[in-house]
Amino acid sequence: MRHVHLAVVTASFLLAVGIAGCGSSPPINKEAPTAAIRAAEEVGASGVPTASLYLQLAKEGLEHAQGLAAQDEKEQAESMLQRAQCDAELAVALSRGDADKKEAAKAIDRVRQLREDNALPKERK
Amino acid sequence: MKNVISLMIAALAGVLAGCAASLPPPELVNARQAYERASVGQAAQVVPAELHKAQEALAVAEKSFQDDPTSFRTRDLAYIADRKAKMAEALATTSVENAAAATANKQYQATQADIVNNTKANLAASELSAAVVGGALVAEQKARLDAEKKAADAQADLATLAATKAETITLSGSVLFATNKSEILPAAQGRLNEVSDALLSKKDRNLTVEGFTDSRGSSSSNLELSQQRADVVRSYIVARGYPSDRIRARGIGEDRPAADNATAEGRATNRRVEIVVDSAVQTQ
Repeated sequence: MRHVHLAVVTASFLLAVGIAGCGSSPPINKEAPTAAIRAAEEVGASGVPTASLYLQLAKEGLEHAQGLAAQDEKEQAESMLQRAQCDAELAVALSRGDADKKEAAKAIDRVRQLREDNALPKERK
Repeated sequence: MKNVISLMIAALAGVLAGCAASLPPPELVNARQAYERASVGQAAQVVPAELHKAQEALAVAEKSFQDDPTSFRTRDLAYIADRKAKMAEALATTSVENAAAATANKQYQATQADIVNNTKANLAASELSAAVVGGALVAEQKARLDAEKKAADAQADLATLAATKAETITLSGSVLFATNKSEILPAAQGRLNEVSDALLSKKDRNLTVEGFTDSRGSSSSNLELSQQRADVVRSYIVARGYPSDRIRARGIGEDRPAADNATAEGRATNRRVEIVVDSAVQTQ
């Protein structure tokens, strides 16, 4: 009986340790890359040729990180999340650059058109 | 011999393994190229802070490569360094485009200001031109009015002249006087009285009695005779009551013939006395 009691205590201890072990491995933090991907989508990265590739890579990186986390490869998962975040941020920058480029071209064309309409010289030094 | 070959194979494998271990992963190669491209581009001048971040990320990746060339961490750090270099390039492009847009917007505003100024200048020039044209029109109108006034004056002068001529009373010399005489014939007194009475209704006019002869005889004698006849007629009219200070006599002689002296009829017409009634009214 005494042996039985010892076995139960030991099993309980091992179960507690096991549960504690599982609880000490917190999930990976996906907030930053997820927010960056959302921002890229909001600025229209999927419609910008130079940016859409990086948005896609970011999404794939996030999925890959989740897979690594599921395989308990937490360190690799965290590293992959950083890659995904960098891709998403680059997609945002390229999308904004594309919009700014279009806006600049529009502004230059507006000046050209204004000068043409008023029979002014093309260049203004 | 067999041992020697085995040693050589083992040594070659070791060398190949060493080479493989020292080869950088593709991520690091890409990161190095990306940073190189960014550092020689606009990023160095436009976004140096971003380029510095890329440089630091690349340095971390290189350190990781030295420490653990084949680890996933080395590849990921190189990957991140590559993205940071590209990010620097993208931000540099954005900054340049923003500057271009700002410059274009300033040019647009400056151009608009130029257009407004040009429009104002053109308007002022147009107004000035209109004023000049208006002035020319006014001058032209004044000249036209002056010309019209001159024409009207000339017309009035002609009318006055016509009126004056219309008030020239011609008396036949043959009726008034005998040949080479300056005494008024009795038969002519009735006619002369009628004329005098008519003139008395215009006492406010100056009268000129002019005597004329035909061309026969000498000019001097004709002039003298014409003067005498004019004097006689003047005296007659004065005697009838016309103010003496407003009537004068003048002998013209054979000048200013009214008809041809070659015929008897013409000469009879030329022997005459004309009483010119001045159209101007005398107030005193």
